[in-house]
Amino acid sequence: MHQFKKNRPVYLNLFRIHLPVGGVVSIAHRVTGVLLVLVLPLLVYMLQLSLSGEEGFRRVAGILSQPSSRIAVLATLAFFALHFFAGIRHLLLDIDVGIDRPSARRSAWLVVGVTALVVVVAGVGLL
Amino acid sequence: MNPEHIGSSRRGLREWLVQRLTALYMAGFVVYAIVYFSFRPPLSFEQWHGWFAAGPVRAAVGLFCLSVLVHGWIGVRSVFLDYLKPLWVRFTASVAVAVAFIGLGLWLIELLVGAGGWR
Repeated sequence: MHQFKKNRPVYLNLFRIHLPVGGVVSIAHRVTGVLLVLVLPLLVYMLQLSLSGEEGFRRVAGILSQPSSRIAVLATLAFFALHFFAGIRHLLLDIDVGIDRPSARRSAWLVVGVTALVVVVAGVGLL
Repeated sequence: MNPEHIGSSRRGLREWLVQRLTALYMAGFVVYAIVYFSFRPPLSFEQWHGWFAAGPVRAAVGLFCLSVLVHGWIGVRSVFLDYLKPLWVRFTASVAVAVAFIGLGLWLIELLVGAGGWR
């Protein structure tokens, strides 16, 4: 029995394990959550600046019109969109909506698709 | 000793619930804000500032900020619990994030309640 356990194959090469799309969306939900937390201080700073007065508002508008910050805005929006849609999917799974494997698979792809759509539409508007 | 006071399972359940309630509130607020601003884009400081100056909006924004911090804290905590293995590393990282979050919270309070935006 003891030896049995010892000889179990350990196979943890993440590039060779084929994760189902639901797993990818779940991990992406976590990663984007952490990224959004990291962006928080910058967002609070921009909010403060924009509310500080006429001058601050114009400075924020100026910063946001730079091409480089538009890319940053688009990236943040992409993180948010994925976190938002994956989060809604998880909330629905919590209350047993679409819990069977084919539906869960489809909704995971839907999260990817809708996020991509939002990013493309926003990208066309922003860039 | 009352067994209810030793387990942490209730705390886990409460965090689970709070994570979902804050998510629902934030989702609703974000959808509202997107719809509102797509009809009335804040093109001037007056419009932008005016939106925040209204009492109900200020309360809703305050609740949103609180939700973001609580939701973010629970999320970061669960990530730390999963990936930061030596206890002292997890503890140090948690304290650092807690300090940062308290700082962000105070900053937001100053911004929304204090002089920050309303001079």
